[in-house]
Amino acid sequence: MRVSVDWLSEWVDLPDTVEELEERLTMGGLEIEEVIRTGPDLSGLRVGLVVEHARHPDADRLSVCRVDLGEGEPLEVVCGAPNVAAGQKVAVATHGTVLPSGDKVKRSKIRGVRSNGMICSDREMNLGEDHQGIRVLPPEAPVGARLDEVIPSGETVLDVEIIPNRGDWVSMLGMAREVRAHYGGEIRVPAAEVAEGERPASDDIRIEIDDCAGCHRYVARIVRGIQVGPSPEWLRARLEAVGLRSINSIVDVTNLVMFEYGQPLHAFDLAKLRGGVVRVRAAESGEKIATLDGQTRELVPEDLVIADAEGAIAIAGVMGGAESEVGDQTTEVLIESAHFQPSRVRRTARRLGLQTDASYRFERGVDPEGAGRAAARAARLIQELAGGTVSRGEVVAQGEPPPVTEEIRLDPARANRLLGTEIPEEEMIALLSRQDIEATRNADGPLVCRPPSFRSDLHIAEDLIEEIARIHGYQHIPTTLPEGAFEGVELPPRRRLVLEVSDSLKGSGLTEVMTFPAARSGDFNGLQLDADDDRRRAVELENPIQSTDPVLRTTLVPSLLRAAQTNLRRQVERLRLFEVGRVFLAREGEELPEEPLQAVALLTDAGEASLWESKSVPVFFQAKGVGERLMADLGRSCTFRAGTREPYLHPGAAGEFWIGETPIAAVGELHPETAAHFEVEAATALLVVDLEAMGRIPRRDPQYREVSQYPSVRRDLAVVLDRATEAGEVLEAIRKTGGASLASAEVFDRWEGRGVPEGKVSLTFRLIFQRTERNLTDSEVVKATDRVVNLLAHRFGGELR
Amino acid sequence: MSVTGDSLDGIVSEAEAAIAAASSVQELVEIRARFLGKKGSVTAVLRGVGDLSAEQRSRVGQTANAAKQRIESRARERRAALEREGRGRVLAERRLDVTLPGHSPPLGHLHPVTLVERDMCDFFTSLGYSIEDGPEVESDYNNFSALNFPDDHPARDTQDTMFVSGGNLLRTHTSNVQIRAMTGRTPPFRFVAPGRVYRHDLDATHYPMFHQIEAFCVGEDVTFADLKGTLYAFARHLMGSDVKLRFRPHFFPFTEPSAEMDFEWEGQWLEWGGCGMIHPQVLRNCRIDPERHQGFAFGMGIDRTAMERFGIPSIQLLFDGDARVMEQI
Repeated sequence: MRVSVDWLSEWVDLPDTVEELEERLTMGGLEIEEVIRTGPDLSGLRVGLVVEHARHPDADRLSVCRVDLGEGEPLEVVCGAPNVAAGQKVAVATHGTVLPSGDKVKRSKIRGVRSNGMICSDREMNLGEDHQGIRVLPPEAPVGARLDEVIPSGETVLDVEIIPNRGDWVSMLGMAREVRAHYGGEIRVPAAEVAEGERPASDDIRIEIDDCAGCHRYVARIVRGIQVGPSPEWLRARLEAVGLRSINSIVDVTNLVMFEYGQPLHAFDLAKLRGGVVRVRAAESGEKIATLDGQTRELVPEDLVIADAEGAIAIAGVMGGAESEVGDQTTEVLIESAHFQPSRVRRTARRLGLQTDASYRFERGVDPEGAGRAAARAARLIQELAGGTVSRGEVVAQGEPPPVTEEIRLDPARANRLLGTEIPEEEMIALLSRQDIEATRNADGPLVCRPPSFRSDLHIAEDLIEEIARIHGYQHIPTTLPEGAFEGVELPPRRRLVLEVSDSLKGSGLTEVMTFPAARSGDFNGLQLDADDDRRRAVELENPIQSTDPVLRTTLVPSLLRAAQTNLRRQVERLRLFEVGRVFLAREGEELPEEPLQAVALLTDAGEASLWESKSVPVFFQAKGVGERLMADLGRSCTFRAGTREPYLHPGAAGEFWIGETPIAAVGELHPETAAHFEVEAATALLVVDLEAMGRIPRRDPQYREVSQYPSVRRDLAVVLDRATEAGEVLEAIRKTGGASLASAEVFDRWEGRGVPEGKVSLTFRLIFQRTERNLTDSEVVKATDRVVNLLAHRFGGELR
Repeated sequence: MSVTGDSLDGIVSEAEAAIAAASSVQELVEIRARFLGKKGSVTAVLRGVGDLSAEQRSRVGQTANAAKQRIESRARERRAALEREGRGRVLAERRLDVTLPGHSPPLGHLHPVTLVERDMCDFFTSLGYSIEDGPEVESDYNNFSALNFPDDHPARDTQDTMFVSGGNLLRTHTSNVQIRAMTGRTPPFRFVAPGRVYRHDLDATHYPMFHQIEAFCVGEDVTFADLKGTLYAFARHLMGSDVKLRFRPHFFPFTEPSAEMDFEWEGQWLEWGGCGMIHPQVLRNCRIDPERHQGFAFGMGIDRTAMERFGIPSIQLLFDGDARVMEQI
């Protein structure tokens, strides 16, 4: 809401400066988003003194002035205005100044005389239409001062964000009350007494409330014999300052009074109402109404309408109808001042996507006792501005009374206990009474407090405690730390797992990303998921950010692939990314979806060796190494199995980490079809870790194994094997065959190509023999090595090179 | 072979000359073998001593041993000198281009939000707060109703909710964790709940996903003053000991009294988060008796703090996945 400071000053005494007011209101809970000056921006202009004035040598109508700007040499300026004279204080725009009109002032030569700026008229400064002569400033204006300090232009307007429970603040009256709560003083309420004619208003109209829950009270005033016309300048200016457009004197009055009291009003053309009745009722199903904004809206029974004998003439509390609109031909009006049920107005406004000044106020709560006063004030102003006669009395209909909290009990000791303060009881009473909350002492009991009718937000003691603290000032509440004993700190196991996994992946040189967890409908096909794959059970978004991404992700893989695509498109290569996050799986018969944790690492390979490495490691083995390290970091000993069930991985270049009989992670190169779908062109490998499965398996702390004090013996065996032979299988067999003296066996080298026949591969196994309890004998090593060589030959068809 | 002291003198001189001329340790080893090895000339003299008379044996033996020691000593000295020269050569000759890049294991990076979130959680665990978690897809009840948001109240408008099928929603704040953590627990307790939240809002300064941290503390005499003190301590931890805060009254359905807090940054007040004393109805909804127990709750964004700490100008950069950005942090 916009609050004009000038307007507010008519209602209540304000502090000296706007800054002081802004500060105090802010600390009282009004969010002031901006302080606006509505007039033209004159900050670039200066006050100048015309020290010399002479005729232009070559032009009769022009004069050449020397203008003192308070610094440097006086400036030579050519001026065309007839009223300029030496000794005047004038408004000067120098070279480079942008005028409020948007024009930039430049140095120029006018008929051979240099002009270094411009002496301005009202029109050039957007201050008025006068272009006959320059603006002459008062003699006391200080030379060189900024012009906006000398000529006040426009109004100061506070743009205020109103918190959702303070409907009473959405008016000048509410703002004035708030100012008074801080500074004291009296509120000057504008006159609402109205001179009435003889004819009773009830002769003209009957009010009936059919929907008593929807409308608490309906007050109508009638003014006859009016002449509708444009509003006077003061009214137009007032409305413009708060951001409203002037329409005509009648509509403008209803808007003005709404801003004054916070009570939305509506004016109907009485002559257009059919059947002499105004009825407040639920809309009929499918009922239509053309509203003032030129649209036709279809209603549902949930909506509340104002109707005449034949149909809806307004949507209650939201917007009036076009048929009964007040126009130039209108001679008699009905002014509606009603109190509708807030949630009912809100539902309709939301359903229709139509938030209006009226619905904004009704939703937040309008004073249920303020309807009559606002109607009278509007009738009085209409009579002043449009003539006519106000019919005698108001026509009132009463629905169910709104829920009102009559009385709240407040224990001052409890207030202090909640706040951590020592505010005396008398001060609490005073702080409340400044807000029209009447607090009285009760013998030995808590204070009995009665909120005023306009404070529909006050229900319980804590509400009053906030009001006490607010005006007391939050800044005056002490600053302490909680005391008392607490049990040990709990760290949820899932969190610990996330920390460990992120640390390990970071330690492997990967970079964490976070992505929005929506998925595209085509993602699941892109991943080649089976029709009955659980990951197709996605949770649908009802109002997605982008219609292309209508569901929540069920796996992190598409998120990472999309991140990879983005990076590759930006020519970022050699990606090493990971994300740890939740995925969402809908569950049959459960209210909420499952949110399992997943970690996915993605590596791409630029295919180049680096400075210190003679050959690059294939990207699959980089990813597998990341997985091996992750398992080790997490204290889980696992086995590796070739092949995977993940359909988006390359079946010939993928495997899985298992702990016991549980698969924990899959690692593999990207399936070419998936790569094509997600447009990831670089060689890419993924490591996909199921953190839920991981979390179910307890971490095992590593246990000490004895280290040998005796020397070891190394034997390297280079063997030519079929290319299809799996090194892992061979190693496992070697370890079993090697006997107690074989301390370790690893693949040391792998070679295909020159010197090795087609279809074969040469693997070099490094065997380390060592015992912890004694020295080895030569014959032991020879025998064990022979066993291994025999194994390689007979079981795997291997030949020593 | 008959030997005299004179011939030994000659052998020693010859050996000394050879040792002095040796230019490598290997050469020195060979020279030593020539004189002192199994077939060496001094060894031969010593071997011949047995054939001599007792008187001669003692004299020649002494002389020969002295010669052997002398040669050994010369060879040792020469060897030390040669090794010293070798080290000097290494010192003089080895020249690396040390400006080439080092070979380190690749450097990984945690996300700025992760870094700040961990820092924040560490602070609260050091004050005795347990960490608690809650789902991101949440029921209307836990996200709104239990937190005292009335149906059809404008307070719900401020939340820009993203709804999912089945009548649920993506949580708009971490306050759902209050309900889940407090229900079934008996005060005193203190919890901190970091997490991801969602709003239907996408423009230059908003992203539909962001992160909050929520803390709440309930006991018999936890006060608004304690709330202020805790927030000051937290602010000092994050922003330095001279940080300035201000508390402005505000409205949240789930706290009463409520406040928004701002911190001062380069002469401007910037919004930091919301806080207040937990509304008695919220306590009751969690089966905690508000006549006996009271407490505070507060929440704030993590993303803005991360952006300020690392100088990241736009929230979009945090979630865009650009490796060039993430690798800077």
